[in-house]
Amino acid sequence: MTIKDKGISRRDFVRGTVTGVGVGVFAAAGFYSYSPWRNQLFPKIARKQADIGVCKSVKVTNISETSWFDNGLLISDIKKAGGLLVNQYSLNWPPFGDGQGLAKGSYEAGINKIKHLLPDRLDEAWALIEQNCVHTDNPGGFSCLVEIEDMEGEIHKILFDTGWSYKWMEESYKREGIDKMLANNEIEMLFVTHEHFDHFWGLPVTMKYNPNIPIMIPDTFYPEGKQYIKDSGHKGQLTEIGNGLNKIMPGVASFKFDVPIICRVFGEQDIFVNVKDLGLVSITGCCHQGIIKFAEAAYRELKYEKDTLYGLYGGLHISPFEDWDPKYDDLVISLGKYGFEKIGCNHCTGIVTAKKFIETGYPVVEGTARFRSKDKAYLGNGDTIEFRAPV
Amino acid sequence: MDTNEIKADFGTGYLDKRVLVPRWRGPIPALVNLLLISILFYASWWIFMDPRGLMRMYTPYVGYMYSRWLLVTLIWVAYIFAFWPFKRAWLVKTHPVVKGIILTAFTWLILMVLIKGLFNGFLGHLSMAYFSPEELQKIGITDFYAWEYSSQAIVMFAAIASWLSPAWVVAAEEAPWQNMTQPARGFSIWIITFFLSTLIFFVTMHPHMGILYYPWQYFTSIAPPWWENFADTVSGNFSIGWIMCCTVVVWIYETIWERYPFCLIRNDTLRRLSAFFGIILISLALAALLYFGQELIWGEAIRGTRRDFAPDWRWLHVGEMAIFWMLPALWINIFHNNAVNRFSTPVNAFIRTIISIVAAVALYWLYYKTAHLFLGVQKGFSHPQQFPMIPTIWFICMMLINFWFMDGWPGWSMKQESVSKTAVATDKARSEVKWSPTFGVSLVIGVIVGVGLYFLLIYALPALGDWLTIYSE
Repeated sequence: MTIKDKGISRRDFVRGTVTGVGVGVFAAAGFYSYSPWRNQLFPKIARKQADIGVCKSVKVTNISETSWFDNGLLISDIKKAGGLLVNQYSLNWPPFGDGQGLAKGSYEAGINKIKHLLPDRLDEAWALIEQNCVHTDNPGGFSCLVEIEDMEGEIHKILFDTGWSYKWMEESYKREGIDKMLANNEIEMLFVTHEHFDHFWGLPVTMKYNPNIPIMIPDTFYPEGKQYIKDSGHKGQLTEIGNGLNKIMPGVASFKFDVPIICRVFGEQDIFVNVKDLGLVSITGCCHQGIIKFAEAAYRELKYEKDTLYGLYGGLHISPFEDWDPKYDDLVISLGKYGFEKIGCNHCTGIVTAKKFIETGYPVVEGTARFRSKDKAYLGNGDTIEFRAPV
Repeated sequence: MDTNEIKADFGTGYLDKRVLVPRWRGPIPALVNLLLISILFYASWWIFMDPRGLMRMYTPYVGYMYSRWLLVTLIWVAYIFAFWPFKRAWLVKTHPVVKGIILTAFTWLILMVLIKGLFNGFLGHLSMAYFSPEELQKIGITDFYAWEYSSQAIVMFAAIASWLSPAWVVAAEEAPWQNMTQPARGFSIWIITFFLSTLIFFVTMHPHMGILYYPWQYFTSIAPPWWENFADTVSGNFSIGWIMCCTVVVWIYETIWERYPFCLIRNDTLRRLSAFFGIILISLALAALLYFGQELIWGEAIRGTRRDFAPDWRWLHVGEMAIFWMLPALWINIFHNNAVNRFSTPVNAFIRTIISIVAAVALYWLYYKTAHLFLGVQKGFSHPQQFPMIPTIWFICMMLINFWFMDGWPGWSMKQESVSKTAVATDKARSEVKWSPTFGVSLVIGVIVGVGLYFLLIYALPALGDWLTIYSE
């Protein structure tokens, strides 16, 4: 029987039907979309269990976690320059200054002032930088030495980021003996987590002591960053790392994320270390992707000892400017679920976050607040942390 | 036209009874206006917002506050106060460009009085410190974050006001003050919508501000906020998401749906209540769907993580996605006279909805693919400095300035008639859609088909998401 046979108006039918479709779609959306029933549509997480091997232990020496010394000044510069999206190379921050003032510079204008002095005549370069850049006393830098002990007991050293201020980083390198390690070829590679000023712009200091050191960078560096590596005098191998897992040595792998970051930076890579009979240790520069996403990546991708996410070291990028947002409380509340047993945080983690971690009862390793680090709530400059299974 | 109306009522009914006549045939008027609006948008974006531009207010919250409140004050001027204190004769006779400049300046003046006077000044200094950057700096917040936090608080208020202000006109039909003259009617609606916005702000946003500072302000707000377990976050972005959907659905209902289906209800009170609360229910369903869509395409949210996997950002993105729907819907209504008019109201509304959703998906794709190349915003979906609501709302504001204040100049010229377009649309819908057994049966069939379509959509979304991948991580 057709609609016409029943004497039903086709137009009424269409009008009713389309109205009903709208009601049906929104009703179903309202009742089902946020209901517990929806969980059945989510795929089960398939763990890839990639084997990166194991190592005996990992020790981290904090060369510098103080990326800058005055939050207010740094943020004031960023604000005056136009906010957190302004291209970092245009800020006229050290070392890329051309004397035109805040946010009026460029990579080319800045590097042209000092290029001829890199990497050996850094004192002279810094004197020029002080003339041409804004707030040259504020930069510090982030850098640490990662020492991996392999299963045969041999130590492999990785320089993890290279800081910002030439002056501060040279002082910090000398304090921790990094200058000699570089000169003696004891350090096997420079691993740059991301392109930010405070992790990367101190590169000439590393080049001064070992221009042949292999460098690993994320493949999302901008042309200015890649040119800076050349202009700093690098002569060794440069490797650009793409997204995902990248094995470095037995027990050590990097993981790179395409993540948008302030000051027009894009992409960060960090390190997983699988420590025998202990578990997985995460070592991060800023962890812009978020520590929980990093931990989730480990859970999905890697096989690790005791299936335990044991430890953390580095910047967790929660409140780098001692700012706050309730979403950070979500992290503080949730981190406990991941069962970390030893947390060595600093740098962009923020003192407020470290204090909240301690108040929540997390196993935070406190520091000594030396060499211009501000608070004992986290690991400061010159402090060390080791991850090794008890014998 | 009624002479008394001209003298007494300023712009009452001006927009509803205005007829815009295209100056040229075919798509030329829309293209010309698109060009003008794009120039206005990009020039003003460069002057006010762009991080590479002059004032660089896209910090992002300072810029977000101004764009959001600009939208609200535009609604106040055109919809609630019906252009009071400007006389109707002035509205009719003044050249659109002159009118656009004067009315935009007037709107900006109100905006500044509101932000600087009411929020930063009066409330910030005498009541809640979080509205005032100066007060926040006094207690140790750095200059930048003092501005960001106070702007965030003020913009949260705007989010609510941008839903309730038009809702009282569109859904509640200005009741019970619809027969009063201006400015009494405008002030009455303004006071009730501001009052309701304040109440909803206290419930949905104040708990967010209460935990924004260390330590949590247990004595002044509920901490953690009441929505924590339901929304899987303590962030107020949860409320931003569904409230943004309310804003969008109000305009969808007003424009491409022509107030269908609630306009069918003949009892005034029942119709107004149904429309007001129906919009909220539709918005909640839309918010749930948009959140679920993200889970299906990107995977389940993980509490505590950052960016695109964080529940708080997912809720924010619900509102962002909704705004991508609002823009093409308004465009279709304003510059294409709703595009589809040859069928009955429900069929027209249905087809327009499909067109606007397809356009919204295309716009979404285009925005995330290209915005960082010309707006100075951050590449990617979820960076804290990637706020698509700012440029989309800014663009909508330019459209509304052109349409409301400039009568669609240069593509259209205006003539006033005495017929209310809303009344005509309502009469048309009522004459076309009448309750009958046939209608009842087809309605039930439609609901079943709609439920089926919903499940088809959610099963197809993961594949559609893969197909439309913009960034891969």
